[in-house]
Amino acid sequence: MKDKTTAINTAGLIARLLLGGLFIYAGAVKVLAPAEEFAYAIETYKVTGPALALRAAYIIPWLELYAGLLLAAGIFTRFSAFLCGAMLVFFELLLAQAWLRGLPVTSCGCFGSGGSNSLPFEFLLNLFFLALGYPAFRHGLFFSADKGMGRERS
Amino acid sequence: MAGIIIFVSTVAVLLARQLNLGPERPAPGFRTFGSAAAPIHIQEYSDFACGACRTAAGKIEELLELYGEGIQVQLKHYPLLDIHPWSLDAAAYADCAGEQGKFKEYAALLFESQEKWARAAEKPEEFEAFSRGLNLDWEKMQSCAAAPDTQKRIRLELAEAEMKGVNATPTFFINGKRAVGPAQLAEQARNFYKLIKKRH
Repeated sequence: MKDKTTAINTAGLIARLLLGGLFIYAGAVKVLAPAEEFAYAIETYKVTGPALALRAAYIIPWLELYAGLLLAAGIFTRFSAFLCGAMLVFFELLLAQAWLRGLPVTSCGCFGSGGSNSLPFEFLLNLFFLALGYPAFRHGLFFSADKGMGRERS
Repeated sequence: MAGIIIFVSTVAVLLARQLNLGPERPAPGFRTFGSAAAPIHIQEYSDFACGACRTAAGKIEELLELYGEGIQVQLKHYPLLDIHPWSLDAAAYADCAGEQGKFKEYAALLFESQEKWARAAEKPEEFEAFSRGLNLDWEKMQSCAAAPDTQKRIRLELAEAEMKGVNATPTFFINGKRAVGPAQLAEQARNFYKLIKKRH
């Protein structure tokens, strides 16, 4: 029983670190590049105009970075895992509508301006990241700052 | 704890931006001169309507001749939109000339005659005249200059320069070290032999 609990907790920790690390990387490459770069990627999804895309491009990368850092460190673990999951659902919806509309999205903007894989591939990859959200949310308190501070319901 | 992490990461990002540690967008091939393996990499942010940029272009040409494979120069656009109304167009046409294989020649003509077109009240005729003089396809150049991809590339270089704190032209980053104006470029160029020798 104890072995099973340890395995689940370890899986939660790994999921938390992977998802947190992913968000840190995705946020960092974007905050270190001009916001316009990410804004152009957002525009290719054709759901917002250039002005809103630019505003989003200023905000989203910082949100990704902060959420990733908090999740990896295990601070407000459940909230930050939920926030990462919510962002992934939002990205998934954007990818899905672009895929269904057959939009020529050459860079998904997921990790900066570099070229990306096809939309279906990015969609599936995002789904995998989203799947990591569950163990991170449910069992992510192992070796977390929250646990260290006795805050186990965050 | 959360506050500390957010504060520290924000400061780290702002510092990294100042130190140019972000991902670099390379200039297109027609604006890149010299070998990628060169020990000295120069990025120049330039405006075709700026007098000091014209002087710097000559200096860069000399350095490329003098150091050959020892240096690589990437020219990036930084049109000063507030004071040079036609700089953005000039940059776009130069890039489109580059796509037809004559960036250097078109850029040289823009620099040579910058007094004629830089402050023109209406769209300068020189853009077309240079194109025809170099046997370029002017119609193709016009559609290329207006194309979103061309405009986007220049705007991104502008945004990149602003993030690096560029506010004057020409600004150089020589192996990451900033130099503003042809005089500072010449000053840093005095160490080029040492840097190249060190590599060999």
